[in-house]
Order: sequence, then C-alpha cells, then structure tokens
Amino acid sequence: MADMIQSPIQAADAAASSPKMTARGVSVFYGEKKAVDDVSIDIHREHVTAFIGPSGCGKSTFLRTLNRMNDTIGSARVEGRIELDSEDIYASSMDVVQLRARVGMVFQKPNPFPKSIFENVAYGPRIHGLAAGKAELDVIVERSLRRAGLWDEVKDRLAESGTALSGGQQQRLCIARAIAVDPEVILMDEPASALDPIATARIEELIHELRGNYAIVIVTHNMQQAARVSQRTAFFHLGVLVEYGETSAIFTNPRETRTKDYITGRYG
Amino acid sequence: MTDMAASIDPSPTDWNGEAMRRRIRRRYAAERRFKLLGLAAILVSAGFLAFLLVTMFSNGISGFARSEVRLDVDFPRSSLFLDPAALEGFGADQALAGADFPEALNEAAQAQYGDSGRSLFSEGAWIGLRDAVRDDPSLLGRRATLWLPASTAIDIAAKGEGEAEAERLKARLAEAGRVRTGINWTFLRGSDSTDPSAVGIWGAFKGSLLTMIVTLLIAFPIGVLSAVYLEEYAPRNRWTDMIEVSINNLAAVPSIIFGLLGLAIFLNVMHLPRSAPLVGGLTLALMTMPVIVIAGRNAIKSVPPSIRDAALGIGASRIQVVFHHVLPLALPGILTGTIIGMARALGETAPLLMIGMRAFVAAPPGGFADPASVLPVQIFLWSDEVSRGFVEKTSAAIIVLLVFLLAMNGLAIYLRNKFERRW
Repeated sequence: MADMIQSPIQAADAAASSPKMTARGVSVFYGEKKAVDDVSIDIHREHVTAFIGPSGCGKSTFLRTLNRMNDTIGSARVEGRIELDSEDIYASSMDVVQLRARVGMVFQKPNPFPKSIFENVAYGPRIHGLAAGKAELDVIVERSLRRAGLWDEVKDRLAESGTALSGGQQQRLCIARAIAVDPEVILMDEPASALDPIATARIEELIHELRGNYAIVIVTHNMQQAARVSQRTAFFHLGVLVEYGETSAIFTNPRETRTKDYITGRYG
Repeated sequence: MTDMAASIDPSPTDWNGEAMRRRIRRRYAAERRFKLLGLAAILVSAGFLAFLLVTMFSNGISGFARSEVRLDVDFPRSSLFLDPAALEGFGADQALAGADFPEALNEAAQAQYGDSGRSLFSEGAWIGLRDAVRDDPSLLGRRATLWLPASTAIDIAAKGEGEAEAERLKARLAEAGRVRTGINWTFLRGSDSTDPSAVGIWGAFKGSLLTMIVTLLIAFPIGVLSAVYLEEYAPRNRWTDMIEVSINNLAAVPSIIFGLLGLAIFLNVMHLPRSAPLVGGLTLALMTMPVIVIAGRNAIKSVPPSIRDAALGIGASRIQVVFHHVLPLALPGILTGTIIGMARALGETAPLLMIGMRAFVAAPPGGFADPASVLPVQIFLWSDEVSRGFVEKTSAAIIVLLVFLLAMNGLAIYLRNKFERRW
C-alpha cells in the first residue's frame, strides 16, 4: 500500500481492479513449430502495454491471438486461455466478428481501403449497425477523425480516396477507422515502423491521448518508443515472455539479464 | 598453371582499352538487334491483322449493298385478282397469301423486258411486290413503278465482278436508268435463305445475342462463385487440389467435346429443344466457365492480404470481406477473363454443330427456345454454298461478327476501367 502513494501507475491499477484482458498459458503453433510458448499476461484498462523483443520472438503472433486474427491462418493453432472481461474469447459462444469489433487492430503497414476517407471510417459503424442514419454516421466519422487527430487535415476532402493521403495520415486514418466502432482494446502491430520520425511522433502523441479511453497494446521494435508511450512493457524472446512489468522498472532495473542485454543493445 | 597466372595482367583494369571498347560495342549491338527483332515481330502481327481486315472489308462491304431493277407494273391488267377493300382489316394476310404474286411478277417482267425478263430479278423478288401492295393497297388500281431486287448475276455485275453477258445486260439497263444500287436492308433485317440476294444476317445475329446472354447468365455467376469459394473458403487439401487440376484441364478440352456433352445431356437426357439458343448457351457456358474460374481466382489472389486484414480487424465477417472489398477489387481481373471466355464462345462453331445449330433457319428466333443459327455457324454454312452470290455475303457476315465482338469487348473494357478507378 505504500507503493500506491508513490506510484500513480499502481494507483490506476488499483482503481481498475480487474485486468481488461488476461492470458494464461498461451502457446501458439504454426503446424509443428511452436511460435509462442506458455505466455501468461494481464492487459490493463487505460494503460499502454508495449511488447518488445527481437524479430521472430513471437510478440506479433501473440498480439494476433488477442483478437483471433490468427484464425485466418489455416495452420495456426492456439492453446491456453485468453479472457476479455473474464469471458473466454476462444469459447464457442464467443462471436469472433464481435470480438474483433471490441478488440480493434492497427497494422504495421497503413492499409486504408481503396475508398473515400469518409467510407473508410464509416465502414465499421455501418456493418455493425452503430449509426441510425446519415446524420449519426457523420457525427461518428467526425468524432473518430478528431480523436485520431486527422479531422483538421481532411475535413474538406472527405470524398477523396484514403490511399491518396501520406503514410502518416493513412496510419491515423486506420486508427480512426479502428476507434469508429468504439472498441475496448486497441492492438497496434508496429504502427509507426513504416513512418518517418515526424509522423511517428504524431502517432505516439495520439497513443498518449487515446490511453484514457482504451486499453492499448503496442508491438514495437523501437525501445525508445516503448519507453515513451507505454506504462507497462513485456519483453519476449524466442517465443517466451521473459519479463513483464512497469516500463520504468524494465528499462532502468531489469530483473533478467536477457532483458538487460536486449535493452542495452547487446543483441536483437 | 604458371602460364595462365602469367597471362593475367596484374595492372589495374584498362577501362579505355581495345578489348573493353569491343565489349561495349558488342553490348550495344546486341541491344539494337533485340529491339529490331521485337519491332519486326510487332510489324508482322500488325501486317497479318491489316491483311485480314482489308480482305474482309474489300470483299464484304459490297454485301451490305444490293442492286435493284426498275419494274413497271400495270396492276389493273395483271393476273392479281385482289380487291383493295380485302386488304383492309382482318382478312388482309389471307387475301395476300391467296394472290399469285410470282405469276404477276413474271407477267410484268416479260411485258417490260421480253421473254427472259424474269431472270433479271431475284427469285424472291415477288416478296417485294407483295410488300408494296400490302403497304399501299391503292396501287392495285393503277400503274406503278417499283424497284425490285436484281438477280444475283445482275447484282454481281453491278458491283463490277460479273460475267461478260451479265455485264452487257447490266450496262444496257444502266443506260436506261433501270438499275440502281442501295443499302441492302434485307441483309440487315432478314434471315437465311437459299437465294443469296434474299439472305439476311439478322436471324444469326439475334441467335448469337440470345446464346451469349444465356452463356453469360450461367457462366459468370457460377464461375465467380466457384472462384470465390476456392480462394476464400475451401480448405487446402487433396480434394481441392483435384478440383483445381480438373478445372484447369476443363479449360483445355477441345470445344467439340463440349458439343457432344451438350448433345448427350441437354438434348438426350433433358430433352431441351434442338437448335435453340438455350442449349447453345448452356453448352458454351460449360466451356466458358473454367476460363472465368481461373481468371477469377488469379484476380482474387492478387487482392492484397492487407485489405482483408483491415476489414477483418474491424469485425467484418467473411462474406462482408468478400463482397465489400475483395470482389470489387478483383472485378477488373474477373471481367478480363470473362471477355476472353465470351469472345471465344462467340466465335465457337464446333460444339454448336453437335447440338443441331447448323439447321437451315429461315426466320429470326423469337425467344430462347426457338430454332436459331449463330453468326460463326452461318458463316460456315454460307462459305459452303456454291452460288457466287454467297461469297460477299460470307465476308459481310464476318464483318458483322467482328463488329459484334468489338462491341462486346468494348463494353467489357468500359466496365473494367470504370471499376478500376476505385483503386
């Protein structure tokens, strides 16, 4: 309890007592190959959780199990239990389409639909029936674009193609598209790795602002980025979750030597 | 070894030396040679195309024109015993059918041009006489001047390719202003006939149109749905591999075999009407479908996976991903495959011969179940005729077929470009 007073992050933890998502003993196989080995982790509300680790360490694979995007890969198989608000997301009663609306995703390469900016954002609310009419849809689109920090740049050209925007704008459009369906968790798979430093800074700012409303999980190769945006950091290596804790602790005082070696640039 | 080692010059590479300059010259020469070869290949294919088009048009364009010979008919004194009143209202067709127009034409021709006068006119010229009377019954009360289709010999002579005797006859008629040449509306509106001056292409054109509609309506949806299922839903296993191989083989099966299949299934088992566009279209659909499936699968495969991820990631269902994103993006490619398949089906003759579409059909089909001919079969039939008059008709029919093909491809390319802009 003494910690609580010292650390505002732990105070937030205590306020949102139960984690948003929990994973227990999760392993992922591609055919015979084990890509993720026995990972247990809690994802907290109103937190940014960063997954770091060298290429091929299984962090992206694990991220994709959180909204069952791995289902689309025929050879992938998931073991263990993942819960969203204490509900097993791999249970047969869980509707995968609804799950992906609740746990949204932003991909490494900006992938707007080859449609207008408006249509890109309106698509999700439309297929989930979130807007009763055109006026309501307009409100949702504007709100989502504002939250993604893109509204002022595109408000006069909503009918233009989403693919005509710059890379950074496209990625913010994808974030607007993800938050338009009002998700509870947003998964980001190296969202800034294809962007220039200025666009990256915009995305990081955005992640900061979004944290108040969503649980955010971000996979990144960039350790400075993880340190800047996240409150909690998980270090993966060779499919194993090596260390998970507060970002400040991981970066200043890692318990494991592997974590220390990676953070100090010995390998990875 | 020591010799070789000695022969290698240890000094720095001489970039301006004779050997180097020779190598550069050879490289440029090879490049020039390759460019010229490519250009030659293009010129040869363009030459073939130009040769085809020029011969077709020079032979065929006259098929759209026809010569007419003037005939003065003195109706009151002819052997037509028709009451103008009988041609008003209901009994008109019957009254016309009862009258002996061929004999009336004979009399008038002999009266004006002598004993061989009838031979100036085509065999079916009396139909022109009948139609004139039907359109204006008041003719029966007076002398009238009509222009009736000339016989094949005169027609060919009028187009400058006739035999000597016909040429002389035609020259005499022309002097007296008794022959003229105009657009051959009969060719554009009529159907097959034994008389080359009375044949028309409309019957075969309409037959082709109806057949293509059936082919498209069957092959396109089945082809696209198969492609979507195989790409998006089917598991990857032995069965789907076998289906894939079978479809690829189906696309390579000779078309006559599809004709036999159509004969066996659609005619003998299902007892659908013989020679009908319905059966022709079904048979050609069997042939076109694999082409659409293969093109469709390739088009669907080329839609970037990131688009699928994006849609799935915001909670679109499989079917929403397919219909909202994948198909619209794949449509240009699917349409290209459909053009290729349909163009092949339009020009196909062999399978249609097997299902009886080579019958002599003298009236345009009224619907999908009526006997019909199609353009390529009509061309085949006319090219087989001995009569001189059919030569230009065959070429003219080929022009019609090519125009049909161009129109169909043009439409498909227009649609493709329209959808491509959405990228």
